[in-house]
Amino acid sequence: MKKLFTLLALMLLASSLLCAQTPGSAAAVPLLSNAFAMAIASGLCGLAQGKAIASAVEGMARNPGAAGAIQLAMLIGLAFVESLALYTLLIVFLGK
Amino acid sequence: MPESELWITRIFNDYLPGLGNRALELVGMHPEPRPWADFVVMQIVVVVSLMVVFAVLRRRLSPDRPGGLQHTFEMFYEFVRGQAEGQIGHEGTRYVVFFGTIFIFILTCNLIGLVPAFESPTGNPSVTCGCAIATFLYYNLLGVQTHGLKYILHFMGPKWWLAPLMFPIEIVSHIARPLSLTIRLYANMFAGEQVTLVFLRMTYFLVPVVFMGLHVFVGAVQAYIFMLLTMSYVGGSVAHEH
Repeated sequence: MKKLFTLLALMLLASSLLCAQTPGSAAAVPLLSNAFAMAIASGLCGLAQGKAIASAVEGMARNPGAAGAIQLAMLIGLAFVESLALYTLLIVFLGK
Repeated sequence: MPESELWITRIFNDYLPGLGNRALELVGMHPEPRPWADFVVMQIVVVVSLMVVFAVLRRRLSPDRPGGLQHTFEMFYEFVRGQAEGQIGHEGTRYVVFFGTIFIFILTCNLIGLVPAFESPTGNPSVTCGCAIATFLYYNLLGVQTHGLKYILHFMGPKWWLAPLMFPIEIVSHIARPLSLTIRLYANMFAGEQVTLVFLRMTYFLVPVVFMGLHVFVGAVQAYIFMLLTMSYVGGSVAHEH
């Protein structure tokens, strides 16, 4: 919990620094926001996919007979989470 | 800006501009000098090649000595039918026609982009939107066909007094379905193409092949997911409760 608050405070500080830029550098803001958006999307997507794979592997270890069905379910779940990160990539590409 | 065209699109635009313009006028758009777009021509190529494959398969179907082509398509059919029965239950077999068509069409559209000098039509949002709208119309019309006008009760929720709350929520969730189908398929194909291009720009030789291999896998998985979601929606709309 403390780490989350520290992270939020640092992000607010960084955004206040960004707002203190001179007007000439306004053209670089979309690039920076694209980078942040993609980083957040990929990071959270990585966490979610890691959780999915972890439970799939544990399930396969507990019940090797169901490994085929578990693998199929894992792949479908990974594809769904991957799509969420790809929506953000789409916004990045459409914004340019 | 002069846009680059595929060689097939150039053939269509050089020899058949009148046909393209007549199709554009049918939907109320203005005629253009080069009416055929890449994704339209590629869809026609996919459809014609699938029809040729199925025509050849039809002639070679035999119960005594099945050939390789028959085994492949029997595998496809068993796969689609098994999934339909798993998702919808016993009545799923009636709708295998649509599911199989969607699966094979989207799979072929995704994979044809890897062949040199061709482009994935599903890398264009119009194509994926067309498939999503077809699915949307299909499951809603099936619901009306199965339940009659009582299909509207599906949107009302479990209790009658929840209906004013449930109806807008259900409408929004039903509109979100073709939207998410469109964007999911389009983003996956578009991102796969862009990632290959970026790596091609950085390392001019052989490294993008890895991404093309990943694109084969992603294309197959996305076609399967589109079919799976279609089955899930159809199952939800034809379900006979109590």
